[in-house]
Amino acid sequence: MFGRKDTPATGALSLRRHETVLWVVLVLEVLFFQFAGRNFGTADNGANIVRHTVEIGLLALVMTPIILTGGIDLSVGSTLGLCAVLFGKLWRDAGLPLWLAGVLTLGNGALCGAFNATLITRLRLPPLIVTLGTFSLFRGLAESITHGVDAFTHFPESFLFLGLGRVAGLPTQAWILLGASVGIWLLVHRTTFGRCFRAIGFSPEGARYAGLPVERRLALAYVLAGVMAAVAALTYTARLGTAKADAGMGYELYAITAVVLGGTSIFGGVGSVSGTMLGVAAIAVLSNGLSRVPATMSNAAELSGLLTGGLLILALTASALSRGWGRRRLRGGRSEERVER
Amino acid sequence: MRDESSPLALRRWTGVYSDRSNVMRPILVLLTALGLTLAAGCKKSETTSVDGGAAGPGSTGRKLTIALMPKSKGNAYFVSCKQGADAAAKDLGVELIFDGPVNPDPAKQNEIVENWITLGVDVIAVACENKDGISTALRKARHAGIKVVTYDSDAAPDARDFFVNQATPEGIGTALMDEAARLCANEGEFAIITASLTAQNMIEWQKFIEARRAMKFSKMKMVALRPCDDLKDKAQAEATTLLSAYPNLKLIMAICSPAVPGAAEAVKQAGKSGKVKVIGLGLPNENRRYVKEGTTDTVILWKTTDLGYLTVLAAQALATGELKAGATSFNGGKLGEFKIAGDNILLGEPFKFTKDNIDQFDF
Repeated sequence: MFGRKDTPATGALSLRRHETVLWVVLVLEVLFFQFAGRNFGTADNGANIVRHTVEIGLLALVMTPIILTGGIDLSVGSTLGLCAVLFGKLWRDAGLPLWLAGVLTLGNGALCGAFNATLITRLRLPPLIVTLGTFSLFRGLAESITHGVDAFTHFPESFLFLGLGRVAGLPTQAWILLGASVGIWLLVHRTTFGRCFRAIGFSPEGARYAGLPVERRLALAYVLAGVMAAVAALTYTARLGTAKADAGMGYELYAITAVVLGGTSIFGGVGSVSGTMLGVAAIAVLSNGLSRVPATMSNAAELSGLLTGGLLILALTASALSRGWGRRRLRGGRSEERVER
Repeated sequence: MRDESSPLALRRWTGVYSDRSNVMRPILVLLTALGLTLAAGCKKSETTSVDGGAAGPGSTGRKLTIALMPKSKGNAYFVSCKQGADAAAKDLGVELIFDGPVNPDPAKQNEIVENWITLGVDVIAVACENKDGISTALRKARHAGIKVVTYDSDAAPDARDFFVNQATPEGIGTALMDEAARLCANEGEFAIITASLTAQNMIEWQKFIEARRAMKFSKMKMVALRPCDDLKDKAQAEATTLLSAYPNLKLIMAICSPAVPGAAEAVKQAGKSGKVKVIGLGLPNENRRYVKEGTTDTVILWKTTDLGYLTVLAAQALATGELKAGATSFNGGKLGEFKIAGDNILLGEPFKFTKDNIDQFDF
């Protein structure tokens, strides 16, 4: 066994501590930028933060159950690109109405996910390798459909509303993100599916012996990722007003960063959707805020990469330290979890 | 291993894990994050000029803020544009923000522009990476009363006020062909190395190179056109092939920047320095060595520092109202007078970097 795995009890405990650390980080960020930044706390800027993060947020949400099972999906960014291009193709070249093109795009996302899932569950190939392959494959498909240069544009206003409009005062995407996070949260924390994901992450063999439908649950996680990547492709296209083969490049890594920052163990078994959302928010506020502080305005892009890395290491270190402290306390036998075992 | 693999233990610990607390935690997370950013206050936004636009800066005495975006930040070409822009900002006493993408994410330029809109800058100047995508954000900026200038590469015409055009395809094509003819004494074979056979700007340049050749230099003959995929190694290999395939070749013209040092290296290794001339479009620094030792004769480009300087100048003039749509010329201060064709401010003739002047430039 390579990774040190937490027992569920210490896992849940350390997660709660980790989320507290993230809350502190987030509040500090907001306070700092409110004082040091220019026009940070405005409604328009709040909308900006949401708009710029929604795709990565959606991908991070579906990445959470996958990482909970001990897997990974490197292909989500490429799936986004392929779906965006396909959506444009169906609408402009095949002349389909927008809603139908949208539905077919979601179907295509599901197919991409199902392709990953088939290779992972039927052939028992490692998710890292499978999705590394489809990472190139899907992006390559998108590039060959458009020969790398064709861009779909001039979408009607009604569609662009999805990316630029507001509903009840909030950006359209905020509602999508909200809906998706509630949905994924229910799935992961309120249904047996979620428990199953964690069980697989702890020990796939154990889950199998326990009679859990490991293959079907894994397939669900990857298909869901494909569908969500397609949703992200639609919001992305609507936000930029253009669909090109390079859409969503590198987003898989941002999503994984947010999930890991949110406290989900890369070895699987431990993690939470709320942690992931906190991770997404911490990164989003950081990169937005940096572009508003006079001292960092002209190197915001470099700094946000640097500080995101720093933040990840800091948050993980802080929670590892507090976990070590928690362990010692557990060993003392005072905790109820300890008693239960 | 502990007893984790037994079904009974499994059920127990999955039971322990299900969190009954905090029913709507993700909603709380989202709402609080949003709430924090929103509620913290709109008191600061009073200083913004988003809706006051052009009227604000001069009268209130606040410094004019110009935001300048390169296609990508690490690119030496744009770093040298920034040098010129910095100089202009200093001369004019305006605040200059310089930010741009550091990775290939095509949405990044849009995000930065949208952040600048809410930041409340007065003018946005962009070198557009993705024309259609960025135009959406630039229109939004104009809608918010912010002046928009593009430089180096344009957006959709309705998404900006002016485009600072560093060189027209005709200017580039003509300059390249004239220089080639001069070096070859108006006759002989030459070959072109391009980035790819489908790149739109290169096709455009070739058209004007050919037009100029047909018009003035009929004794010059183009024998080959080879793509190098914008790679120096490939350009070097192509140039080596050209040298052996066309023994009478007098000149290689490289029209994408990696191809210029690539072709020079091939000529040098073949021992034909001076016999086969090399010219091309590129940056002085990449070619300095070859120019100084005489393998490459001329590197053609524009003065990127002037491009940056002029962009900031135009941005400021636009904000103060000195520069208006329909103008036919623009006073570029210490750079002199510039022509305006339609809504393009023309930087003028391309600049030739040769052995004699290349040491004055560092980019």
